Amino acid sequence: MPPWSDFEPFIVSGLALGGVYALSGVGLVVLYRATGVLYLAFGAVGAMGALTAWSLGRVGAPGWVTWLVCIAVAALITLGYGALFGPALAKRDPLIKAVATIGLTLILYGAMDLLWTTSGGEARSLTLPTDNGGFSLGQIQVNWTQVIALAAGVVITVGTGAFLRFAKLGTAMRAMANDREITATLGVPVRKVEAAAWLGCGVLAGIAGLLLADLVALDATTLTFLIISSLAAVLIARLRSIAVTFVAAIVVGLLHDLLTPITALTNYRDMTPFVLAAVALLVMPRSQVLAQSREEA
Amino acid sequence: MRDTLIRATPGRVGARTSRPQLIRAAVVTVLLLFTLFALPQILSLYYIDTMTQVAVYSMVTLALGVLAGRVGLVSLGQVAVLAIGAWVAARLLFATTQPYLLILLEAGLITMAAGVLIGLPALRLRGLYLALITLMFAGAITVVLATVNFPNGGHGFTGYNGSLVHIPPIRRPSIAGSDPAYFRYSVIVATLMFLLVLAHIKTKPGRAWAAIRQSEAAALAAGINTWLYKLWAFALASFITGVAGGVLAGAVHYLYSIGFPTQDSITLLAVTLMGGVYSMWGAVVAALLYQFLPALLNNWGVSADWLIILFGLGVLQVLTTAPAGLADQVPRDLARLGRLLRSRLPRSEKPAPGSTE
Repeated sequence: MPPWSDFEPFIVSGLALGGVYALSGVGLVVLYRATGVLYLAFGAVGAMGALTAWSLGRVGAPGWVTWLVCIAVAALITLGYGALFGPALAKRDPLIKAVATIGLTLILYGAMDLLWTTSGGEARSLTLPTDNGGFSLGQIQVNWTQVIALAAGVVITVGTGAFLRFAKLGTAMRAMANDREITATLGVPVRKVEAAAWLGCGVLAGIAGLLLADLVALDATTLTFLIISSLAAVLIARLRSIAVTFVAAIVVGLLHDLLTPITALTNYRDMTPFVLAAVALLVMPRSQVLAQSREEA
Repeated sequence: MRDTLIRATPGRVGARTSRPQLIRAAVVTVLLLFTLFALPQILSLYYIDTMTQVAVYSMVTLALGVLAGRVGLVSLGQVAVLAIGAWVAARLLFATTQPYLLILLEAGLITMAAGVLIGLPALRLRGLYLALITLMFAGAITVVLATVNFPNGGHGFTGYNGSLVHIPPIRRPSIAGSDPAYFRYSVIVATLMFLLVLAHIKTKPGRAWAAIRQSEAAALAAGINTWLYKLWAFALASFITGVAGGVLAGAVHYLYSIGFPTQDSITLLAVTLMGGVYSMWGAVVAALLYQFLPALLNNWGVSADWLIILFGLGVLQVLTTAPAGLADQVPRDLARLGRLLRSRLPRSEKPAPGSTE
């Protein structure tokens, strides 16, 4: 076992990663509750946004423009998909809705590989100016991007919780999570509420893509499949609670990075989301499982 | 896309129309004989290797099709299962001198055990959870493979020796050393797997699966042990995919962990859905889409990325308008086109508007 000081820097990076996973997870849960769609293209649209931002940056666009474009690209693709395929698949099983988003993932993935080909060995990176500034916490160097990542996770979780609780639109989303038909009968414009959920989820995907491109790597495959970590958090929260999603996401991010200094496990640290989710499924009490299934049926 | 498919699947059209079963069996037999004896004579070595891959992946898409079409389960990690099968087979092939067929059986059974372990927790919940856990499993296996590596003739449990200079190829069965012979061998193994599935569908498990697919609650009320039959389907799919992995090991001679990326699991599900999950022809169509089309495009110098985009669009099209996939849609559209032609409609109306059913 390496000394504790070896772990210290990974606490910071783990918390930052966990923060981004948390905001991704919250976006996924809110969209799932409002529309019944588990958005598996979340990582791919974020990657698309980040790569577009990188290209803009190369031709000399100012930093803030590229960040906004990153978020806008992710948001527009998500909103467009939701508007096109949301109504068509509204009455289908959640599994079908989730598989349909795999179609979008593949389209984006193929397009990204065509436009920003990985062969040729061109390494891309997206750095935010906040990487340079920071402060020391004891022995540990903390940069502002990491602070922003964790803060974004906290703010989005708390903000979304408050929004769902107090805002009119949030109440409508919660109503739709319970029953879409009855909500529509009560006069709630369900299409508009769904569109808002899609847009919100897309914005979060853009933010997550931007932060992960900086914190992890700017690479279509990596960013597309980082969704797996958020999915683990969402699954542990059983697609319901954003508070549990937040905690699970932080644990996934933290545990993943804390395994880095342990020589025997460092190569296996990317298995963290799978192991945690599998364990969570196993220890979930049978009664809860049945209740959940009944509810979804 | 449709043109290519029609050309790539000759004779299939007649097989789907509701003729007596005898004719259908005859068509299948003729097709099989053609594939076994005529095809290796016609094709170049490049396309024989491609068709061997088609045979291998038709087993994988068959397994996915059984899960999705018969039971209503979706696996997003089938390439990881294939990798396990290939790994186990390669390890056994290096370690023992057992006959190849026996090793295929062992690879299938060991993979089945692994698949059951994965499916066990997820099958307690509804389908979406199984899809998610298999996707994570695929990611996890990619990580393990990158560290453990495929056996290359080394010793120890992993059978990997990083400092080997002359890596021995994974052996093939003694009766099927050459590429055309191995192609025939693969087709025969694949045929056996198709028959295994057919035997399931026509008997009690098939009826139980059909009931579960319609409504799990109703199946439960009818006294069907839904958990057991879901697990059974998952085990069968894992077994078939494990056998496919074993065939793949001999086909390529050398296995590398980068050959089994997570995204391929997703692409495989996409082509399986496009091919059609309600008929076993769909598995063949899907394997042709997955292996034959890329080889063709590669020959023409077109980027395979276009195919990925096409598969993405295909998934959306299948899920929104044609749930039974191409194996169902193309014959139906052709029949409709034939009717239209026969009734001598004006030329402008000839293209069948079959895509919006």
